[in-house]
Amino acid sequence: MKLSRREAIALAAAGAGAAALGGCNQAVSAAYNSAREPISPPNLGDSEPVSILNRFGFGPDSASVSRFKELGREQWIEEQLNPSEAIPAHLAARIGRLEIYHLGPWDLRDWKEDAVIAQMQQNAILRATYSPWQLQERMVDFWTNHFNIFTKKGLAVYRKPWDERNVIRRHALGKFPEMITASAKSTAMLLYLDQQNSTAAHPNENYARELLELHTLGVDGGYTQKDVMEVARCFTGWSEERGFLKKKGAFVFRPEIHDSGSKTVLGQRIPAGQGIEDGEAVIGIVALHPATANHITRKLCGYFLGDEHHSVQPQLAKVFIESAGDIKSVMRLILAEFPSGAGPVLKRPFDYVVSALRATDAATDAGGPIQSALSGMGQPLYLWPMPDGFPVETAAWTSSLLGRWNFASTLAKNGFGGTRADFERMRDGRTAVDGTAIVFRRPSDSDDLSGLAKAASRKDLAGQVALALASPEFQWR
Amino acid sequence: MNRNSWTFCDGNGRLDRAAPTITRRQAIVGAASLIAGGVWWAGAKSALAQGAFRSDGGDGPVLVTIFLRGGADGLNIVAPYQEDDYYRHRPSLAIPAPRSGKPETKRLTDLDGFFGLNPAFLPLFPDFAEGNLAFVHAIGSGDTTHSHFEAMSTMELGLLNQSDRVSGGWLARHLNSTPERQAPLRAVAFGGTMPDSLSGAHGAVAVNSLADYRLSDVEPEWRQSLERLYSRGDTEIAEAGRDTLRVLRILNSSDPRDYRPENGAKYPDSPLGKALKETAFLIKNGVGLEIACLDSTGWDSHITQGSVDGWLFELLSDLARSIAAFRTDLGGEMRRVVVTVQTEFGRRVAENSGLGTDHGAGGCMAVLGEAVSGGKIFGKWPGLVNDRLSGPGDLAVTTDYRSVFSEILQGHLQNQNADVVFPGQSHKPLGILG
Repeated sequence: MKLSRREAIALAAAGAGAAALGGCNQAVSAAYNSAREPISPPNLGDSEPVSILNRFGFGPDSASVSRFKELGREQWIEEQLNPSEAIPAHLAARIGRLEIYHLGPWDLRDWKEDAVIAQMQQNAILRATYSPWQLQERMVDFWTNHFNIFTKKGLAVYRKPWDERNVIRRHALGKFPEMITASAKSTAMLLYLDQQNSTAAHPNENYARELLELHTLGVDGGYTQKDVMEVARCFTGWSEERGFLKKKGAFVFRPEIHDSGSKTVLGQRIPAGQGIEDGEAVIGIVALHPATANHITRKLCGYFLGDEHHSVQPQLAKVFIESAGDIKSVMRLILAEFPSGAGPVLKRPFDYVVSALRATDAATDAGGPIQSALSGMGQPLYLWPMPDGFPVETAAWTSSLLGRWNFASTLAKNGFGGTRADFERMRDGRTAVDGTAIVFRRPSDSDDLSGLAKAASRKDLAGQVALALASPEFQWR
Repeated sequence: MNRNSWTFCDGNGRLDRAAPTITRRQAIVGAASLIAGGVWWAGAKSALAQGAFRSDGGDGPVLVTIFLRGGADGLNIVAPYQEDDYYRHRPSLAIPAPRSGKPETKRLTDLDGFFGLNPAFLPLFPDFAEGNLAFVHAIGSGDTTHSHFEAMSTMELGLLNQSDRVSGGWLARHLNSTPERQAPLRAVAFGGTMPDSLSGAHGAVAVNSLADYRLSDVEPEWRQSLERLYSRGDTEIAEAGRDTLRVLRILNSSDPRDYRPENGAKYPDSPLGKALKETAFLIKNGVGLEIACLDSTGWDSHITQGSVDGWLFELLSDLARSIAAFRTDLGGEMRRVVVTVQTEFGRRVAENSGLGTDHGAGGCMAVLGEAVSGGKIFGKWPGLVNDRLSGPGDLAVTTDYRSVFSEILQGHLQNQNADVVFPGQSHKPLGILG
């Protein structure tokens, strides 16, 4: 890692600024607005869709609340667990124009790094804000951090869009063993963790260690330093294509640097004389290991249900193993558990920004200004330098408040280029509806919000919205 | 030559070095209670210029901690050039010995006849020669996972092993155990997220840059509304909101962007250089700063680590030049400052095929300050002979990193509650503070 986190943040901000979108975006923006249904007034007093959308999506917007009410809880959950390809036309129009998702690493090499990162950030924000498949987007966020790749390391940035499509998004609600296999063959990951040059003579331990510690078993998963070294031997030769006129950056197994001796991983012997099968055998050993089941389900509990100990976790681990790592089955149980076992969860800056855009039904291109604001809050997407992903702990994010306040005030004043919200239209003639009620989709005289509404009493609607978004209450899911 | 152990607790260090004067900052306490009482600090009226926070004759002690993230290679910062095994294990990474005939910038500079200093660190060699810089070698925690995250968190929580349990970071426990020292801004961490060491602290903020610490909406009404919104509630966020507003008040009264370093100090234009410059600004402006946490990242040198050039050399060079500028800039104020440089673990003794090193154990720590009994390398040297290495070929850990911090805690930060900060521990002082 040559760049520090702060440099990375600064670069991301600069890159995002440079990527400010041109004239054709205005047309898309117009299409967005005309394609949208008339905004319905906030669904006051209806807290079940609001609380579920807060937990399992990026917060309520008008469309998602309507859909929830139309289907009812059970059916809504099933729909979310089985997302289709169908997305609103305005979202398809926007993300269809992001060229990086149509290109492989070998096609991207002439691009500027920051342009690739800006499009990836744009994609993430747009999908999280507008996709009807909110649970899928939360899962993508979860796995993006679980399999974190710092895109400023080497040439990882050119390989990450492929990784995002084929590892993260494809398997986000799929089978965990398939996801691990895809990740192990992701050249973005292999390059980030120094795997591509690991040889039989001197294996490099970086990928092997993070595979066991972060991706599967967890640090207390019962493996030893010896296991790390054996796993490193197994993966020697897992590398990328570099040949002249070949698809540079594609996964390739290089037998000439592979260690073909016999190995022992977690007590299981892997025979001599094999090639790529050694690494595949390791995945077979760890992907559905009980320690992996515990590690993954513990993390999912923390992410969706909060920090405290969860009585449902052992049951989740059981389902994980019995379903052969079926993420959907695990999530179905977590959804059933909510809200009985859920404590408060702080929104990370990405969650905050997207939930604010959704709460205000804002039209945004998710361009430079929004990306810079997110970087300023400490969460420049795809730029966390360590393999553990952005932290989830509340304490890590208490200092992002100033950035959130500034975001709230700028958003409410429609001060971000490429982003607009129409609060008067949201109020829709109902003069009693104030900014607090719009943002929280609850009457502002409800028990939990009356104090806030009083403190936020300002004459102008935009000012009320700004304060509601800046309030302590809006920082939590 | 092989030296197994030595101690430098000779008790007759530099006699002319007075202990830093510790003053209770009545003026600060007064200012803080005014704020608590609801006095509004108008942005135009510079509290700093009025000296409102500054007690007469300077402020209290300051600890500046720099954390090298990723496991810095201590063996190539302070290298045991008298050990043949150092050169045997590292055919391409080892740095030539002091008397190898190479120019000063391409070899080690001798420190004590056994260890030599990486040429990237030459900007700080005068501090070592004058006795203001000490190194502790083969230092670390009891963590054997070789995990960055476990090892970092172990150190930041102030533990020997993760299995021990405490609440919050060790610097947070220090701050919370000395609540009588109220000040507007006791601790600052540079970065987008709060580090574990300050997790749970009252009176601490994390900032990317002081210069950007501004409310974009200048209407006083907006700010007053925020004050109202965050005046109630005891969640972490409500408390953080009050801290944030407090820091805004302080920074609004003086602009860090106008700060000019003194004594000809030139900070590198790097994140670390900038953060140290802003730390100097806070120290000189007497806001009651006690703790500054700075990070330097990118030390995870699995591949192409380099020797007397390359990227590890560049990182070390940035580190040394940043600290040298900070020390120069502070001038007389340096009397009350101690700077520590730590990392979560050192690296494997032998190089790997990527011309880098994998995760190891024993690391190297630096402590700088006028109160430091420097010019020495502290610790018990375990040696690099194969059967003395620990784990898969690591430099063994012979000094608990908490010995250094507990000495600083008591001797420098004047905290008499060391047993609260490092529970159940009685660390033998190494004598780093003389």
